[in-house]
Amino acid sequence: MKSILKTVALAALVGVASVGAASAAPIKMGVAAEPYPPFTSPDASGKWVGWEVDLMNAVCAEAKLECEITPIAWDGLIPALTSKKIDTILSSMSITDERLKTIDFSDKYYNTPASLAGPKEASFTADAAGLKDKILGVQVSTIHAEYAQKHFKDAVSEIKEYQTLDEANNDLAAGRLDAVFADAITLDAFLNSEQGKACCDKKGDVADDPAVLGAGIGFGLRKGDDELKGKLNAAIKAIRDNGTYEKFSKNYFDFDVYGK
Amino acid sequence: MDLSLLALSPPGWGGVLLAGLFSSLQLAVGGYLLGLVIGIGGASGKLYGGPIVRDLLEVYTTLVRAIPELVLILLLYYAGTDLVNQLMHLLGLPSMDISGLAAGIFVIGVVQGAYSTEVLRGAIKAIPAGEIEAARAYGMSPLLTLRRVTLPAMLPYAVPGLSNLWLIATKDTALLAVVGFSELTLVTRQAAGSTKHYMTFFLAAGALYLAVTLVSNVIIGMIEKRARRGMVREA
Repeated sequence: MKSILKTVALAALVGVASVGAASAAPIKMGVAAEPYPPFTSPDASGKWVGWEVDLMNAVCAEAKLECEITPIAWDGLIPALTSKKIDTILSSMSITDERLKTIDFSDKYYNTPASLAGPKEASFTADAAGLKDKILGVQVSTIHAEYAQKHFKDAVSEIKEYQTLDEANNDLAAGRLDAVFADAITLDAFLNSEQGKACCDKKGDVADDPAVLGAGIGFGLRKGDDELKGKLNAAIKAIRDNGTYEKFSKNYFDFDVYGK
Repeated sequence: MDLSLLALSPPGWGGVLLAGLFSSLQLAVGGYLLGLVIGIGGASGKLYGGPIVRDLLEVYTTLVRAIPELVLILLLYYAGTDLVNQLMHLLGLPSMDISGLAAGIFVIGVVQGAYSTEVLRGAIKAIPAGEIEAARAYGMSPLLTLRRVTLPAMLPYAVPGLSNLWLIATKDTALLAVVGFSELTLVTRQAAGSTKHYMTFFLAAGALYLAVTLVSNVIIGMIEKRARRGMVREA
């Protein structure tokens, strides 16, 4: 652990040094290399689209930063950040105490509840009792995986961890899972798709546990990268105040995704 | 199956797939060539080097061939980049940005190097010792001997093993998908996940990999024919 901390500290130092040296280089935003609608997904021309991409464009325009998207595997995002392959994580990553040990976060830019989806014909409640003896699917290294380990582990017969949420959803549709536990909005996107409509529906939001589910979603940053953090925080606040945030969010949601 | 999904321009994903194939081929060619260079050096070192060089190369080939390539890729991609940047920092240099392509070529090159070391070592040992002795008797330097005698004479023995390695290299590129490098397998998964047409896209990717192999086989056949010129054709 100590050596990891040392590595992180060193990486942070290197980060500070290089920010001074090459401020003209574009800010590399790490995005999980998987379709995660409606936040980030690749389109047929290979471009990344979605709410978070719009957010990035708005924030970077506001902060006068040049930003570019770098796709990285979801569970490699934090190592990529500390080893300087990317400068920022833009991938619906929740701000949790566990992650704050290794990396830093900007202020939150959205916050949504966590909910359960299951097959239409099954009816159960969104808690441990409802999940008794069921097979539950989650995405690896997410707050939902941790929440499931903490609250559902004893009740369910198995927790299956998937590399991408997309794969978990497919297994739910194929009947290999009894339930999928994930972010409410992303599950909605699946449940509103052709495949989701045919098989499954939402079973409800789970009880909040701020210690695991975190305080919303922010840009992931290297520790010590305070200059970039300050710029991003100021830009998030500015687009909240001047209505830009609301404007592009309307294209995706009919409620305020920023949360309370 | 909806073939319009494979059209070259959006909303078809064909263009994205071909770009992924191009990345895969870049990785494969780069990694393979690096592997060949390591292999020639490694084989020479193993055959003609001193005891220390030989032991070091033995450690290299044993380690790399013992560890699953997936583990090596994760290790070299994340830990390797971190290590390089720490070194740069200690030397007082600004940290380097290692691109996914460069890291991928390096990883595949290191893996291929270990295997081609062994392939080439075997091939060199198959050369009749008299040919190399004759070269020495003419006063050729070791490098000249390597270029004029050893490499051309071992080629017929090495081509089958090396062509295997090439085909493995083209498919090893798919492992880079785990680190999020946009090669053919990853873009296929993204396309399939976005459109939910898994069958269409995975079959298309399979066809592309097959096409690479078929074209490779023709080229390898030509190389082998040339390498074996002047030799008795075996049945």
